[in-house]
Amino acid sequence: MELLLSNLSHGFGVALTLNNVLFALLGALIGTAIGVLPGIGPVATISLLLPITFGQPATTAIIMLAGIYYGAQYGGSTTSILLNLPGEVSSVVTTLEGYKMARNGRAGAALTIAALGSFIAGSFATLLVAASGPLLTQVALSFGPADYFSLMLLGLVISAVLAQGSVLKSIAMVVLGVTLGLVGTDVQTGQQRFTFGVPELSDGLGFVSIAMGIFGIGEIILNLERPEARSVLSSKVGSLMLTREEAKRCVAPVLRGTLLGSVLGILPGGGASLAAFGSYMLESKVSSHRHEFGTGAIEGVAGPESANNAAAQTSFIPLLTLGIPANAVMALMVGALIIQGIQPGPRMVEAQPDLFWGLICSMWVGNLMLLVINLPLIGMWVKLLQVPYKFLYPAILVFCAIGVYSLNNSVFDVYQTLFFGILGYIFSKLKMEAAPLLIGFVLGPMMEEHLRRAMLLSRGDITIFVERPISATLLGIAFIALAAMLLPGLRSGKDKALAE
Amino acid sequence: MKISQKDLWAGFLLMFLAFIGLWINGGFLGLGLEQHTLGTARRMGPGYMPMLVLWLQMGLGAIVFIVGLRGGPDDLEDWKKLDFVTLAVAIAVGILIWRVMEATGYNTNYIQVGAACLIGLLLLAISPAWRPLGMVLGSFAVFGLLLEPLGLMVSIVALCVIASFADRDHRPLGVAGMCVFLCALCWFVFIRQLDIRVPVWPGSF
Repeated sequence: MELLLSNLSHGFGVALTLNNVLFALLGALIGTAIGVLPGIGPVATISLLLPITFGQPATTAIIMLAGIYYGAQYGGSTTSILLNLPGEVSSVVTTLEGYKMARNGRAGAALTIAALGSFIAGSFATLLVAASGPLLTQVALSFGPADYFSLMLLGLVISAVLAQGSVLKSIAMVVLGVTLGLVGTDVQTGQQRFTFGVPELSDGLGFVSIAMGIFGIGEIILNLERPEARSVLSSKVGSLMLTREEAKRCVAPVLRGTLLGSVLGILPGGGASLAAFGSYMLESKVSSHRHEFGTGAIEGVAGPESANNAAAQTSFIPLLTLGIPANAVMALMVGALIIQGIQPGPRMVEAQPDLFWGLICSMWVGNLMLLVINLPLIGMWVKLLQVPYKFLYPAILVFCAIGVYSLNNSVFDVYQTLFFGILGYIFSKLKMEAAPLLIGFVLGPMMEEHLRRAMLLSRGDITIFVERPISATLLGIAFIALAAMLLPGLRSGKDKALAE
Repeated sequence: MKISQKDLWAGFLLMFLAFIGLWINGGFLGLGLEQHTLGTARRMGPGYMPMLVLWLQMGLGAIVFIVGLRGGPDDLEDWKKLDFVTLAVAIAVGILIWRVMEATGYNTNYIQVGAACLIGLLLLAISPAWRPLGMVLGSFAVFGLLLEPLGLMVSIVALCVIASFADRDHRPLGVAGMCVFLCALCWFVFIRQLDIRVPVWPGSF
């Protein structure tokens, strides 16, 4: 406990330096902005801004990128409530009750509880990350290569199982991602693989190019193909204060949402959207006001909003302790760390205490800033929505193009991004989910390394993966997760939760 | 039997990519582009993991394909004749330009790739259904082509102008204003603040 406190005070020392506070604020503001704007999400934004963070120290860069991620959770709820227009997938459920509340003249209350719930959940989740991080790291240090391989396999399986759409296609996309990760120099022999003699490919396909091409440019093309009518702000925000009755009704949903979100966030492939859906379903079953659901029940805003923010924070746990990304945003964080020369993994706590504790504390600082800046600035965020998309997408394209060029000062990267833009377009037309691909791409090379090491240690005996207890357990869970999705009942439940 | 066209094509794409990969990886009767050493399970060579992964991808692709035979109906969008023609012409012209420029030596700094992409994509955009795709990606290609010879400002303007054709609501005045605004913004953010190494004006590199 004392150790935790001294670590936290060290972390606050890092997080509260002027530079880091400014970048956390910048990240939170950018995150809120893209959360408000539909059509551009945290994955695209973070990949867009990755090159810009190179000039910063690693800690500052990660603090800013993290700020974008949780800022987007706040911003997404604003438009859900005011305009019935979810800015992010994770705030889709907020529209169900939040917009109804706005119709009833309680928009202000809904916005307040969304921000307050997020803050409470964020604070709890930050503590959880701080407390569990070093413990899990201890466990992770006893992992051998076989265990790592199984753990990553589990991560890939779960990320595919929990993705939207067909499980089968998601698994295929994970494998395709691993395939793309094969391009480049073989680490052990130095042989060039799948490079076609192109020197730019000897370091592998560009991570930023893939993410930007598929998530940034592919999205723009799709948005232009189906122009949507923008709804206008109809309801007034009203008083931001909660009535005593409303406040009382929110306590339990916020706590339940926080707990549920924290757990779901840790799961690989989980993350904010799943947590929000889960919490909404839970509240609509257990809340004592469940008959009001569908007419603007405040529980339906408080629970999911807390859950999605808690999950956004705890999804850092697998990344910080094991070096394994739980979702596409975390895969980008791995990319950012590797570009900075830091190998994410269990040794990060000891080797990079500034980064580890500084990031954790900055999450809390960032959440506090979001609470303070968000509510008074609501009018400004709503104005942002009035920028037409036709002026927005060329700006996004310009930033993408400059960003990707400045990675290596190479035009090749621009064309590479273009190629993945085409591929991303094809994927979305064929309903192939791209997020699992990104996770497969990041984990693939690590898996190959651990597989080869494990097989060398076991002298080519494949039973090593079931003989080691940790590895066997992880493989067992992966198997159960796969098998469970083949059960029709569970599958339809998941489809219902993700389809809305 | 209801066919899901999306799944059929997805399965086909996966199998096709796996096939190409396996062919490059080598191992079949000495066929193969790069011929990676396979090694043994104990000492895996550079070709071992690709072999495992690509066969897995091939298998999954086949399953997706088979499931797609009765997973539908889930059809692709309706393509008109014009769409097919522009797609075929675009690909053919693109490959032709690429090969010709490669053969005649215009291949410094991947200019042949950029030119082939740009012209192919602009041809593609003749058909209205492909316009967002062709214009957005074409604007990206033009940026790559112009950046080093003509500098950042010209490239931004060219990108904006081409990209603006992707959306029919754009008016000339609006595009001009947007170009000026984005040039100023990018100069401030990327040159003044971040100081990235990129030519700004024509002839400054």
